[in-house]
Amino acid sequence: MAVCIAVIAKENYPLYIRSTPMENELKFHYMVHTSLDVVDEKISAMGKALVDQRELYLGLLYPTEDYKVYGYVTNSKVKFVMVVDSSNTALRDNEIRSMFRKLHNSYTDVMCNPFYNPGDPIQSRAFDSMVTSMMIQVC
Amino acid sequence: VLLGLKRHYKKRCQGRMRKHVGDLCLQAGMLQDSLVHYHMSVELLRSVNDFLWLGAALEGLCSASVIYHYPGGTGGKTGARRLQGSSLPAEAANRHRPGAQEVLIDPGALTTNGINPDTSTEIGRAKNCLSPEDIIDKYKEAISYYSKYKNAGVIELEACVKAVRVLAIQKRSMEASEFLQNAVYINLRQLSEEEKIQRYSILSELYELIGFHRKSAFFKRVAAMQCVAPSIAEPGWRACYKLLLETLPGYSLSLDPKDFNKGTHRGWAAVQMRLLHELVYASRRMGNPALSVRHLSFLLQTMLDFLSDQEKKDVTQSLENYTSKCPGTMELLTLPDGLTLPPVPFTKLPIVKHVKLLSLPTSLRPQKMKSLLGQNVSAKSPFIYSPIIAHNRGEEKNKKIDFQWVQGDVCEVQLMVYNPMPFELRVENMGLLTSGVEFEALPAALSLPAESGLYPVTLVGVPQTTGTITVNGYRTTVFGVFSDCLLDNLLGIKTSGSTVEVIPALPRLQISTSLPRSAHSLQPSSGDEISTNVSVQLYNGETQQLIITLENIGMEPLETLEVTSKILSTKEKLYGDFLSWKLEETLAQFPLQPGKVATLAISIKAKLDFSCQENLLQDLSDDGISVSGFPLSSPFRQVVRPRVESRPATVSEGSKAGDLSHLKTLEAVLNFKYSGGPGHVEGYYRNLSLGLHVEVEPSVFFTRVSTLPATSTRQCHLLLDVFNSTEHELTVSARRNEELILHAGECQRMAIQVDKFNFESVPESPGEKGQFASPKQLEEERLEARGLEINSKLDIHWRIPSLKRSGEASVEGLLNQLVLEHLQLAPLQWDVLVDGQLCDCDAAAACPVGDPVRLEVRLTNRSPRSVGPFALTVVPFQDHQNGVRNYDLQDTVSFVGSSTFYLEAVQPSGQSACLGALLFLYTGDFFLHIRFQEGSRSKELPPSWFCLPSVHVRALDAQA
Repeated sequence: MAVCIAVIAKENYPLYIRSTPMENELKFHYMVHTSLDVVDEKISAMGKALVDQRELYLGLLYPTEDYKVYGYVTNSKVKFVMVVDSSNTALRDNEIRSMFRKLHNSYTDVMCNPFYNPGDPIQSRAFDSMVTSMMIQVC
Repeated sequence: VLLGLKRHYKKRCQGRMRKHVGDLCLQAGMLQDSLVHYHMSVELLRSVNDFLWLGAALEGLCSASVIYHYPGGTGGKTGARRLQGSSLPAEAANRHRPGAQEVLIDPGALTTNGINPDTSTEIGRAKNCLSPEDIIDKYKEAISYYSKYKNAGVIELEACVKAVRVLAIQKRSMEASEFLQNAVYINLRQLSEEEKIQRYSILSELYELIGFHRKSAFFKRVAAMQCVAPSIAEPGWRACYKLLLETLPGYSLSLDPKDFNKGTHRGWAAVQMRLLHELVYASRRMGNPALSVRHLSFLLQTMLDFLSDQEKKDVTQSLENYTSKCPGTMELLTLPDGLTLPPVPFTKLPIVKHVKLLSLPTSLRPQKMKSLLGQNVSAKSPFIYSPIIAHNRGEEKNKKIDFQWVQGDVCEVQLMVYNPMPFELRVENMGLLTSGVEFEALPAALSLPAESGLYPVTLVGVPQTTGTITVNGYRTTVFGVFSDCLLDNLLGIKTSGSTVEVIPALPRLQISTSLPRSAHSLQPSSGDEISTNVSVQLYNGETQQLIITLENIGMEPLETLEVTSKILSTKEKLYGDFLSWKLEETLAQFPLQPGKVATLAISIKAKLDFSCQENLLQDLSDDGISVSGFPLSSPFRQVVRPRVESRPATVSEGSKAGDLSHLKTLEAVLNFKYSGGPGHVEGYYRNLSLGLHVEVEPSVFFTRVSTLPATSTRQCHLLLDVFNSTEHELTVSARRNEELILHAGECQRMAIQVDKFNFESVPESPGEKGQFASPKQLEEERLEARGLEINSKLDIHWRIPSLKRSGEASVEGLLNQLVLEHLQLAPLQWDVLVDGQLCDCDAAAACPVGDPVRLEVRLTNRSPRSVGPFALTVVPFQDHQNGVRNYDLQDTVSFVGSSTFYLEAVQPSGQSACLGALLFLYTGDFFLHIRFQEGSRSKELPPSWFCLPSVHVRALDAQA
């Protein structure tokens, strides 16, 4: 259902980015990259709220003609960005939320790997297969 | 219905009129009035569903409220600038929207036109004014009304833009972005290309305004692409390039490669690469190849990790194409708008992992002469250890290296390089970058195989002046791009210091010898590095001349030369000087100008032990020749003439020869310390080492050594069993002896008559040496000194006629204590005189029968103490030459007086004599054995001291 999933580091560079239609990879890169503006804006707006009450899910970042971009930010300011096809109207907010949660858990597993250097691109196979499963699910 | 229609029309007219009045009031600066009119207009128009005009009225209301709330204007500087472009806002509005009567009033225009910005007095009147939140709501409403009309796209866009500006002031970026998002989708038909570009530029500007830099960059890039859209007849590459450059910050891309040195690349590689590619393309189309080369090299340098193998090939291919027209330089490129593009050195092509400055080869390494007063000592603290000093030293170590380079000599720096490219990398003009000293770098070209591992590269250069040189980096030319790579900017590089002192020029010495070079390397423990090795094969005892040719191949005159030798630890004991030379003749030719040659002759004397390793004592006692005890064993011995006894080599000796013939190796190092030129003034010298490898083949062996007393007490016979271990016929000669011919593997006995030695006369070893030596060492030294003296007396030589080689043989090693004792002259010198004649030799003293013969025994004491008194008994006997001795001679010999003599105590270096007389009654050969009376002689003195000559007397008929 997702067409592009990206993990962005705290310093706003990609740790992981993957999209389904490989021929148009660059388009998604642009899309995720520009969505960071909104993410930043939302984070700074949320900054005033108490940390423990903060909602990690950022909701819809912005819609385009063909896609919807959703965001999620962890407490350590690592961002997850998901691009879904806007034709897929069956997709509920709750489902997006649970997908992000899954992504977050998998990311946590990656971070728990003692051989992973925080800040390096994610090359974990487990994470990769999880992302693949999330992308194929419905499409 | 008609009435209704009429009323409806009336209301619409009234509403539109009110709106128009509001516009006019606003233009006239009557803010309060315009607000009132707008409010009425909105109410009227809402009831009649005149949406376009309703939207316009709402917008007017918003504009007036904005003016009220934000008298400073919303557009800021950009708004003011845009106004200057169009003198009257109304005009501008009319031009833009010919279909609508709406008068657009830029809110910023009013304040600049002189409306009193102080609104505090008007606050009370501002009842109809909208609150900031309401302004946005009304804008939203207006926009939604506009969107009902397809022709009103432009107004809608305009309203969106204005709303965004207001929101930007209110710092409500999220909502602003929603407006902008909407603005993007507004369908504007039949826009000219220029307008399209303008639209995207404005969008980008607005995104920038609300802090959405990435979005802004995105639209700027779209605008840039629009400039060169294929539909445009004359693509504006210049504008495109300019716009692209403006997008760089949005993609967090800096064109300074230094920003990428800090760590692994962090950024949107795919997006950034795309942008760089576009920059390259745009700059090429602009007709500025230098720019495109710079951008392309930047792309290659910074994005190397993200390029696929195919992309790497493509990029390098195109880079080579560009550089063939315009080579990449290290200069700063300045764009017309003031932006500068820093140079891009290819620090990753190849990647340098390790930089190490190499010292000169050992033979050229300069060494500092040790001055008596080390200047370092004074600089150091009086403490042996201080943590502060240790710390400083550590710091210094990081920077400065503890060896020196020499002016005018080729110096080397080793780099470990790595080629990350999937194809062969050709690096040209690779040279060193240095500072501090004038340095002539000799560039090298190298070709690194694809994905090579670490590959050592040596860069060389010649320092032209003296001082402290710092290696800052290296220079390369790759794909036609010149790069100066500074070590400070390289990541993950290991250096062991990069600063070295360059000392003044020194001469260079080249050595060639008369001997063949050898492949032998000396023992690794030797420590010094040897530049040349020569080898020679010698027979034991042989001496050979080694001619060394010294050539000054440097540029400076050779002024001083010192030669020292070091014999590497060898198990073999070496006798005599192994290496000896006379330097004076060579030094007479100095100073040696460049290109000149001098020679030095060195004689190599290989003199090893000539004994065989078996136990000599054992062997001697087996032979039955007693060397122990009293030397005057029997007169029978005295008859044994010194003779040459030929004995064929036994089987056991033959097998012994096998293991005796093994080669022995001697190794030595000759050190030539030389200096000259300015370096000599500074106190530096160079050291050249010549390794000498000598294989010593055994020549002769002395398998046995023994002594026989000679007839005279002053002399003795040294018996040597000489074994020829060579494969050639060999002759041996000693002093005063004829030559002895030995066939290969033959063993013969050789007897040499020698005078006994007075070892006391041999000077003792120098005092200072003896002070520290242990008694055992002293004893050894004494033994050696004696051996040397004996050997010099013996002077044994061998010669191999077939090979025309000759040498000495030495007995030094095989003389043991016992043999030495026999060869030693006793400190008590006894002289026996018969009839006033000294009776010492073999010759018999003749005396007449019937007359008393005077017998005198004299004692000279050479020992350091007093000896005696002694009692001596003379025993005459006759030897029948068949082993029978006749002592029963009372009838033939009688004593005049006593047969026993008394000698008084003799002081050191004193003399004493006693006299007696004999009467021979018959003719015949008689021997006199002088014996000490039992118990009379001092027990503490060794028996060899009482070595009295035996006396042979021939009694003759007086008449005959």
